[in-house]
Amino acid sequence: MSSIVLQQAINGIVVGSLYVLVALGLTLIYGVLVQINFAHADIVTLGAFAAYGVTHLLSGNYLAGIAAALGLGAALGWLINAGIFVPLRERGSELLPLIATIGVSIMLQNAMLALLGPIPYAFDTPYSNQVIRLGTLFLTVQNVLIILVSGVSIALLYGFMKFTFLGKALRAVSQDRETAGLMGINPGHLIMLTFVIASALAGLSGAMLGPVLVLTPFAGTSVIVKAFAIVIIGGFGNVEGTILAGLLVGLIESYTTQFLDPGLIDIVVFALLLLTLAVRPTGLIAERREENV
Amino acid sequence: MSKTSPNAAAQSRERRVWYLIAAVIVAALPLFVTDSYWRTNLIVCALNILLAIGLDFVLGYAGQLNLGQSAFYGLGAYSSTLLVLKLGLPFWAAFAIGTLMAGAAGALLSFFAVRLRGHYLAIASLGFAVIIYQILLNWISLTQGPLGIYGIAPPPTVAFPGLPQIAFGDLRNLFYLTAGFTLIVYVLLDQMVHSPIGETLTAIREDEVSAASLGIDGPKWKAFAFAVSSAAAGAAGCFYAPLVGTLVPDAFFVSESFMILAMVIVGGMGTLVGPVFGAVLLTILPEFLRSLGDMRLIIYGASVTLAVLFMPGGIVEAFHLLRHRLFPEGEMR
Amino acid sequence: MNPAAPKQADPPTPLLEAHRLCKNFGGVRAVQDISLTISAGTVFAIIGPNGAGKSTLLNLLSGVYQPDAGEIRFAGLDLVGLPAHRRVRHGLARTFQKIRLFKQLSVLENVLAGYHTRHSIPPLQYLLHGAAFRADARRCRAGALDLLEFVGLAHRAAVPAGSLAYGEQRLLEIARALATSPRLLMVDEPAAGLNGAEVAALLRRIANLRERGVTIVLVEHNMDLVMTLADRILVMDYGERLFEGAPGEVQAHPEVIAAYLGAEAL
Repeated sequence: MSSIVLQQAINGIVVGSLYVLVALGLTLIYGVLVQINFAHADIVTLGAFAAYGVTHLLSGNYLAGIAAALGLGAALGWLINAGIFVPLRERGSELLPLIATIGVSIMLQNAMLALLGPIPYAFDTPYSNQVIRLGTLFLTVQNVLIILVSGVSIALLYGFMKFTFLGKALRAVSQDRETAGLMGINPGHLIMLTFVIASALAGLSGAMLGPVLVLTPFAGTSVIVKAFAIVIIGGFGNVEGTILAGLLVGLIESYTTQFLDPGLIDIVVFALLLLTLAVRPTGLIAERREENV
Repeated sequence: MSKTSPNAAAQSRERRVWYLIAAVIVAALPLFVTDSYWRTNLIVCALNILLAIGLDFVLGYAGQLNLGQSAFYGLGAYSSTLLVLKLGLPFWAAFAIGTLMAGAAGALLSFFAVRLRGHYLAIASLGFAVIIYQILLNWISLTQGPLGIYGIAPPPTVAFPGLPQIAFGDLRNLFYLTAGFTLIVYVLLDQMVHSPIGETLTAIREDEVSAASLGIDGPKWKAFAFAVSSAAAGAAGCFYAPLVGTLVPDAFFVSESFMILAMVIVGGMGTLVGPVFGAVLLTILPEFLRSLGDMRLIIYGASVTLAVLFMPGGIVEAFHLLRHRLFPEGEMR
Repeated sequence: MNPAAPKQADPPTPLLEAHRLCKNFGGVRAVQDISLTISAGTVFAIIGPNGAGKSTLLNLLSGVYQPDAGEIRFAGLDLVGLPAHRRVRHGLARTFQKIRLFKQLSVLENVLAGYHTRHSIPPLQYLLHGAAFRADARRCRAGALDLLEFVGLAHRAAVPAGSLAYGEQRLLEIARALATSPRLLMVDEPAAGLNGAEVAALLRRIANLRERGVTIVLVEHNMDLVMTLADRILVMDYGERLFEGAPGEVQAHPEVIAAYLGAEAL
């Protein structure tokens, strides 16, 4: 019994750390732009398919697949920012960019559906079947890789935000556009950089999630709903809260699968989301962001 | 579209003329459309208009994005059907309860998220749509899950003494019922948006802090707009079940919310007539594009994005631009 | 004209009283221990350098923020805990330092939105407009046009608010706030960005409002305007009260001159 609990904890952390990567991208963009890219999760799906395709083409070179997903994610992030968010910025609407990216999401999903069909792809990496045993617990090398890659990415991102000049500038933009201007940095470039980083992370997590998920063109939809939940539970724009909430949702998912019913995952996560909104509307770790009136 | 023209009474009269024209169109349509396939499409069209004007009320006027229309639609459909099947309630009682339940769920949901920015409400409603779908799928003892509920009867026959009976198994009568109901909802919403309620909702859309400084209770009015929007979707659901005769959860997947959003955006949000055009176009047009298969949905997605980028006023704006181009001297209404 | 002198002799009825108000933002003391008493029918000015907490104080009084500590009473009513929109019904109105008009609505519609609390329409007539609805619409419209006339924007009634010049937008905010029929009007830097003639017109209008019995709270950097209009002046610095008194006293106070007036008066 206790080994099941531990085993599921590991599974939960594996999936949760990938959700963290997806959600961090959303939260970074929200931090600098106060906008949501609804197509963010479709970048995850496209990343997964890109990794799948390249891995198979290069007869099992998964690392090349990961690189492809990373690159594709970055390119899509650039494209979505330049094509949607930049032209809509001057209109200053809260909802128009969200709606426009919903359109992008519908397009991407159905384009994938037309090209790839609705049947789930079996994405096995060379590491999916190598198992490490630790007493009664077992881990695939893929799982270890996931935890390693997402852990390192999260740490790098965290360090970048906290300690580098660009990272500080990014945070300055999220507080106040003018301050960033005073630091001699073009806010437009910073926003572009944020999109590229966030979307590259989404592509990366797609490459890592592909082997774990049921890989269909609609995989992104279930991911985005969880990512949104994570971002709200963690507090929009709050990096620490997002990490915590992502792992929490991963754990909830694996325990719900084990002890209740996989069909209930979304319901449990959403209940937690509503509870958070009711009790702590600013997220687990409260962040005070007063509106300048 | 200026609402500041000096003669409000004349505008009010003009609106009533348009209502009358719409009623005549509704009355005449089944005379020209006799084929049962196209009559069914007309009914679907009426339901989509109901869903779209409901969404526009909360999105175009109050500026809140309700991505839960699919869930409220499903809530209305399943609750009314189950109330008839399991509790033996008469259809119209089930219809009223189903509609009210959807509206109450919408108001409740908005109360959870109103304290925060509009994005939260959009996401909470999206999450709600996913949850309702999952519940419909997984609560098999109640909904029969993916197998669905079959053989749902049409609304009961109406018989007034001295008049011929009206049976709703007849598609013409069902069209009159649904389109008539949709027209009534349209008129009520149109009257509301052209009243101080419209001013209040647009004030919230434009700037909520500013609206509060004028005595406007933002959360209350957002909940109101959400409730109206969700109730319209619930009512559409109550009609959907007997029209199709079958209920499966997939009819109420989140993507349905996006389709309704597309109708509002393409038609032109913030005017009630825009979503009507959008719903008609996006319901009827795909019938001619069936051969395209999945391309159909790609076109839906592209039309949303392109409309937001290049024609945020949708068909209505395009129409105004065209009229302006053709009759540059013409008076602007 | 200096109405401050007679008012001191005859103790007036206080309309708004605040007692030891405090507001912190994440460790920053934006407002610290501010008390004030505003008499009905007077102009009460709040001055101080940027970041002195003037706007925060206004936000506390209007209900955008709730204070961390302290009391606010308006005509005897306890305002603490009351949200902004409820305070409007009791007769408080305000404008914003950073203009917050409904930019896409017309000038007239902006003012009409200010009638939110003042409609008299039977509920059913919202769904089906009738005679009472039309009478209400006529009444509000006429009132709104009067207010636009008062601020000199009647000729701009039909244009979108966002297309007005900056100074006009400030005036429209005042008209919109007046539409709520306030007993107390709080104006946050109404003269910012106005030219000399516009300031003079603004001065006449505020004086006119006071004559009509509206009490005014004025946050402003333009010292000519403040010294001409104000009956009492509160000087703030670093969230705290530096001094409070009549214009003559403020101008003579050495600390105030050093901290604030000095730089601008010279």
